Amino acid sequence: MSVFSPAAVIAAPQVFEVKTLASRAATALPGSLLESALYVLLAVVWIVALLALTGLALIYLERKIAGHFQCRLGPMRVGPHGIFQTVADTIKLLVKEDFVPDGADKVLHVVAPFLALTATILLLVILPLSPILQAADMNIGVVYVTAISGFGVMGILLGGWSSNNKWSMIGAMRAGAQIISYEISATLALLVVVLFAGTLRLSGIVQSQADGWWIWRAHGVGVVAFVIYVIASTAEINRTPFDIPEGESELAAGFHTEYSGIRFAFFFLAEFINMFLVAGFAATFFWGGWMPFHVGGLDGFNSVMDLVPAGAWFAAKTSALVFLVMWFRWTFPRLRVDQMMRLEWKILLPVGFVNLFAAALVVLYGLYFFPGT
Amino acid sequence: MALFDPKGARAETRQVAGKSVAVLLAPRLVRRGFLHDVFYGLKSLLTGMRVTLPYGLTTSRIVTRQYPENRGTLKMYERYRARLTFIRDGQGRHTCTGCRNCEKACPNGSIIIETAKGAVTGKNEVQRFIWRFDACTFCNLCVYTCPFDALEMKGDFEHAVFDRRLLVYNLNSYAGPHASLWDKVEDEEQRKTLATKISPYDGKVPLAGTSMAGCPARAHGEGGAS
Ligand code: SF4
Ligand code: SF4
Repeated sequence: MSVFSPAAVIAAPQVFEVKTLASRAATALPGSLLESALYVLLAVVWIVALLALTGLALIYLERKIAGHFQCRLGPMRVGPHGIFQTVADTIKLLVKEDFVPDGADKVLHVVAPFLALTATILLLVILPLSPILQAADMNIGVVYVTAISGFGVMGILLGGWSSNNKWSMIGAMRAGAQIISYEISATLALLVVVLFAGTLRLSGIVQSQADGWWIWRAHGVGVVAFVIYVIASTAEINRTPFDIPEGESELAAGFHTEYSGIRFAFFFLAEFINMFLVAGFAATFFWGGWMPFHVGGLDGFNSVMDLVPAGAWFAAKTSALVFLVMWFRWTFPRLRVDQMMRLEWKILLPVGFVNLFAAALVVLYGLYFFPGT
Repeated sequence: MALFDPKGARAETRQVAGKSVAVLLAPRLVRRGFLHDVFYGLKSLLTGMRVTLPYGLTTSRIVTRQYPENRGTLKMYERYRARLTFIRDGQGRHTCTGCRNCEKACPNGSIIIETAKGAVTGKNEVQRFIWRFDACTFCNLCVYTCPFDALEMKGDFEHAVFDRRLLVYNLNSYAGPHASLWDKVEDEEQRKTLATKISPYDGKVPLAGTSMAGCPARAHGEGGAS
């Protein structure tokens, strides 16, 4: 038996074993059906709690940050520093009349917000928050992320179309054009990381950054891909400067003009959780997700970094990116529709293609940091 | 994408209709390369973000005031207009002569002045200076118009009441002559009879176009005690 030595503990870098809730349920299944069902239940509770709590926190944060950026205080009255403001607003939205306008396509009008929220939940399922906090993992993770985030536009399109309102209609059409266009650039940026990581599995991509995050390990191409991803994904979640689908000055409220009560709340919640997701995926792909800050070969330094739990690394990175997106919103003016389209098709897309090609060369010749590992 | 470069502006003098006029020439719009535009755009976005960041992170630039809480320390701005008052000297005397200039200047008939000949002075004296707070738009025209500097706007703003009639004020606290007429009366005993005290709500004043018991409705802008 070896004597416990702190030096030895610190020198051995931690190995992160990914255990998703789904895989735990699958492992438990042959032995005990009950245990397996409990894991599934845990996953469901986890997703619902994440959805509700992140939504509440983000909406409160957004209003506070918006206030400070505009020399205001933001919510101050409900609870100390207004921390219960979103709770009060949620209750208000829940008890509000659920209204379907005359001449609307009733079924689609009711279904649309649920579709939007479904896409969001499906993405939450695969987001790796820490080695043990991930509901499910799959070998085609990146394809799944791309497909589902494109699916969210269905809710918006249906909502706008079924409302029987010109503003909603125009807003939804703009959203459709915008989301589908920017989807391409976002995917091109993700493909750069896939090239480096050599896997489509999200937990695999995080583990591939054990020697360093792709944003600096892949140097130039990594940074360009990150910038493209941030721009394209901001556009995908309809946030300023790309909030053209709901441009208040011209479209009332865009695709959700005719929505009120709980179904408006669903659209709203989906929008805010999407912001969290975009920040989370950007962190996962470029900033190492839950992977602590590692530099390949410096085992001592890496072990010190491992003292901070993986979940905390993810939370810190995601919060920083969420703040960045909010910062964008309260700084940049809104683009015009044609400018938005030109930015995508004439700037981001060519740059993204060139960058992907350059990344392929970098990977081929091993020109990035620590290519051997 | 053409860009405007303010540094390229040029100053020169031109002959316009026989006069030489200084003009600032805007530079020609220049078309630069794709990469230049991308980097220029990114740079200007970053500049904007650098400007807004301190606002988002610090609390020192916040202008919001938490009103009921800061009531003890709240000071309104000097030019804030919330209540019309008479300017008074140390003895509480005003300088209003009852000339009715303010009444005529008021765009919505918020001022009604009742005057009477003073028994001692033999001059017009203000009996009641009625100011309709509920109709006033705080345009300040009455203050600008007054040739005797008798009026000013005060900044106190807590005037909520449960009865509209309480928003009709008498500005003068006494019915009697203005300050300089007062000084011309030499006899001490006579001076004592000059003014009758009245309260801000003394007498009956009808609200817009309506009548009250003992007080007929008045037409718009019509004043006087007649
Ligand atoms: S402020 Fe304007 S509206 Fe008010 S009393 Fe004076 S002149 Fe009339
Ligand atoms: S307040 Fe001024 S303008 Fe009005 S009646 Fe008196 S002196 Fe004349």
